[in-house]
Amino acid sequence: MKHEALLWLLILVPAVTGALALRLRSARTILGAMCAGVGISVALGWYVAGKVLLSGPVSAGAEWLYLDALSAYNLVVMLLIYGLSSAYALVYFRAELREGHLTLKQARLFASLWCGALAAMTLVFISNNLGIMWVGIEATTLLTGFLICVHVTGESLEAMWKYILICSVGVAFAFMGTLLVGASAHGLGLSAPEVLLWTRLQAHAGSLNPACLKAAFIFLLVGYGTKAGLAPMHNWLPDAHSQAPAPVSAIFSGFMLNTALYCVMRYVPIVEAGTGNTGWGLRLLTGFGLISILVAAAFILFQHDLKRLLAYHSVEHIGIITLGVGLGGLGTFAALFHTLNHSLCKTLAFFAAGRLGQMFGTHDMRKLAGVMRVAPVWGMGLFGSLLALIGVAPFALFMSELQILKAAVDSRAILALVLFLFGAGVVFVGALGHAIPLAWGKTASTVQPARAGTLETLLVVVPLVFLLVLGLWMPGPLQTALNAAADVIRHVSPALAGSPGGIMP
Amino acid sequence: MNTLSFIPLLLALTLSPLLPGVINRTKAFFAGRHGQPLLQTYFDLWKLLKKGAVYSRTTTWIFRAGPIIGLAAALTAGMLMPLGKCPALLAFPADFLLFAGLLGLVRFFTVVAALDTGSSFEGMGASREVFFSALTEPALFIALATLARQTGQLSLSTMFGSVSNAHWLHSGPVLGLVVLALMIVLLAENSRIPVDDPNTHLELTMIHEVMVLDHSGPDFAFILYTAALKLWMLGALVLGVVLPFSSGNPWLDLALALGGMFGLAVVIGVVESVMARLRLLFVPQLLIGAGAVAAVALILTLR
Amino acid sequence: MMTNLILVLVVLTNLKLLGSSRLGASIRVVAAQGVMLGLLPVLAHVHELSLHLAALAVGTVALKGVVFPWLLFRALREAEVTREVEPYVGYITSILVGLAALAASFWLGGRLPVSTVEPSSLLVPSALFSILAGLFLIVARKRAVNQVLGFLVLENGIYTFGVGIVAETPFLVELGVLLDAFVAVFVMGIAVYHINREFDHIEVDRLDRLKG
Repeated sequence: MKHEALLWLLILVPAVTGALALRLRSARTILGAMCAGVGISVALGWYVAGKVLLSGPVSAGAEWLYLDALSAYNLVVMLLIYGLSSAYALVYFRAELREGHLTLKQARLFASLWCGALAAMTLVFISNNLGIMWVGIEATTLLTGFLICVHVTGESLEAMWKYILICSVGVAFAFMGTLLVGASAHGLGLSAPEVLLWTRLQAHAGSLNPACLKAAFIFLLVGYGTKAGLAPMHNWLPDAHSQAPAPVSAIFSGFMLNTALYCVMRYVPIVEAGTGNTGWGLRLLTGFGLISILVAAAFILFQHDLKRLLAYHSVEHIGIITLGVGLGGLGTFAALFHTLNHSLCKTLAFFAAGRLGQMFGTHDMRKLAGVMRVAPVWGMGLFGSLLALIGVAPFALFMSELQILKAAVDSRAILALVLFLFGAGVVFVGALGHAIPLAWGKTASTVQPARAGTLETLLVVVPLVFLLVLGLWMPGPLQTALNAAADVIRHVSPALAGSPGGIMP
Repeated sequence: MNTLSFIPLLLALTLSPLLPGVINRTKAFFAGRHGQPLLQTYFDLWKLLKKGAVYSRTTTWIFRAGPIIGLAAALTAGMLMPLGKCPALLAFPADFLLFAGLLGLVRFFTVVAALDTGSSFEGMGASREVFFSALTEPALFIALATLARQTGQLSLSTMFGSVSNAHWLHSGPVLGLVVLALMIVLLAENSRIPVDDPNTHLELTMIHEVMVLDHSGPDFAFILYTAALKLWMLGALVLGVVLPFSSGNPWLDLALALGGMFGLAVVIGVVESVMARLRLLFVPQLLIGAGAVAAVALILTLR
Repeated sequence: MMTNLILVLVVLTNLKLLGSSRLGASIRVVAAQGVMLGLLPVLAHVHELSLHLAALAVGTVALKGVVFPWLLFRALREAEVTREVEPYVGYITSILVGLAALAASFWLGGRLPVSTVEPSSLLVPSALFSILAGLFLIVARKRAVNQVLGFLVLENGIYTFGVGIVAETPFLVELGVLLDAFVAVFVMGIAVYHINREFDHIEVDRLDRLKG
């Protein structure tokens, strides 16, 4: 009833804002309207998600829309990131507007695509129909493609083309996987509209065709994994992240990768139950996660561009999340926790990188040195987020990575443990090697120091404080929410839900 | 080996020079001319046989032997090729391999005789001819293999004898693909458009014509006759797959087959009139395409 | 029988695409393939024809046969190209690779544990072959328009797979797929236009400024 209306509104509000943005007259009004629309969506979304996390799943539209603990949690995180990024967009584009770099057409394009992407990502989370979820992901690919080249340059066009082509091919594979999942339910007597509903498939998971499910999961992992940035399908990631304007990079890393990974997580309980709980799917996830961590570690060592460095960090952390889900038990809990931490941290890092890039005029780390002297607030933001990204205690990322390590030890996955530690070590050394000159190196004399306004300071301080606090103390509601969400993936019935590690791995 | 099996060979020997005549008449019709008489090839053969031959001093016995061996091989191949439903004189399992080998022999001696003259034009034609044949051989063999697999028979006579309406209804696409591949092989082996233009007078653009430039008199008559025989036999190969009807009466079958043969000649004439010759650069693509079509048919049959 | 014919024609069109260098001809071939595949579900279920099936077929034929070629020809005209440049893999090798892919698709199709006796046993192999051919075109060709064509062939293959695999894919989802293909081609057309304007060519192997 009321919840149904709210679920529909969650999609409609951003869509309408995006359409509205096309008609407004001045760039400032457009950006303002965009923030307002996002703000309303954030409020609505948090309200509905809170309801779900407190009292259980909500569904609407003849069960085509469905919000349970997993999607509610992800929705909360996404809206947080979107809210922060929209506020940052105001700051970022304010500088560009002052210098006349942003034309009215570009502002309209940006705002409408930004809101459209929000609507599409919301659709992914609240959809129960796996086919519609796929449509949402494909829509995000196409809508965010042009966000990359808001400023048309040779490099941004190249990045956009690679992004659109590689991700469309990946998402096409994911569709094959979706079809195969539908086919595996062939003999069950489900009616045509129901065969792709997640709740139905989950209920009948034990009687699905295992061979079909295995083939499907491979397609799904490769397909959605391309969109999520798992190696070796991550080639589009560094280019897209480095060429897009900073707010766009923030939502790419901060949320779009997680959305794609969420789609994979949706299928994990079905595949696990369908293949007899042998852990076949989980082993695949672990493998891909480890490969991503190692590949990212290798590339982080020789990066010159700050945003490309952050992009490879994204690959690494997505690998860590995948590894966590693959390990199961405490690992699932930790992976979901890591989602929140990584999103916050990466968003802050891109905020800082963007703003500093504007001040220095380049993202090349050889020229971008000594930021602490030039812009203390943003410099602290950048350095702090880099430290958090490489897993320095007591930031929250350290906690979630530690929990994943414990999960690896608990399930005797020694090889995974060793490879993860090795990768994390390489990343630590490499990134720190980049971070220290960034913060305290010799500055070029042509750069003027800039003062940060209140909004900017808030944007830096709030995430850092969050990360510090979460690293030291896990609030009760957050723990319950994470458990509920992890239970959905672990396919544990609500009666058995308990401590973070579950009763058994 | 009953009397009926002599008929395909007899018909081939007597009626094959009529085929180039029909083709030329069709082309003339498209061009709005009256064209050569239908029996022109017979007149040419008669004229050439009465003439004397001129031999260059650089040639050896190979040059003289080439046309004769070619004709002998073609005649032997004629003994293997059935016409429609009427069986051939010689039929044994895997006789299509011998058939292809004999056609290869014809080509080999034409090429060797051409090289024997020491002229650069002949050498150029020879190299093109050999290159294109190397590309058509796979197509021919794959098509024949598909046919063998489809009908379950290994001899040309029994293969064509057992192609029936049921086959076409059941695996129409496969047989259609085989016919397409064999048609392209026919056009390539007999130097027709789109592979080679038989009416060109520019040596640099010729393939087959230029190889036989130096033959004269009876030798040239043999070569002309061999070409006509080759056209007849490859046409009979295509016809065997296309004609599915089998009325009980063998004479009716023969009449249908003859009609089909001349129909095929008309089709070749039409193809020659509406298409232009492909650039030599793209001919390999066409031939590999024919091979690919035959391979698709084979894969479809094998599954 | 008709479905078998259509599927064989689809296989042949894929081979033609692999071996052809003329972009205009390739666009027409992909359009023909799309039209044939649009008619496939109608022919397969000709006895249980329903309104939405017919509407879907009409929509698919209109989009794939008319709109997509129009968009792609416009992109070609803007970029003023007619042929592919020397591709990464030559045309004859492409056809041979295509034949190997066809054999592999038949082998895989037999091993895949899906019951697809209706409408035709050729369906899964030809779908897999279209997917492989599309992927090959994306990887092995240099002009951006050729890559878009490869993507369309890939989507065609997945669509064919869908026709056979799921007894009746929900109408809305099929519509979603169609719309997705349309928007994808539209977006890619605009992208090609921008690339051409910026670089004065549409050869993707020359887009190599971003490395590492």
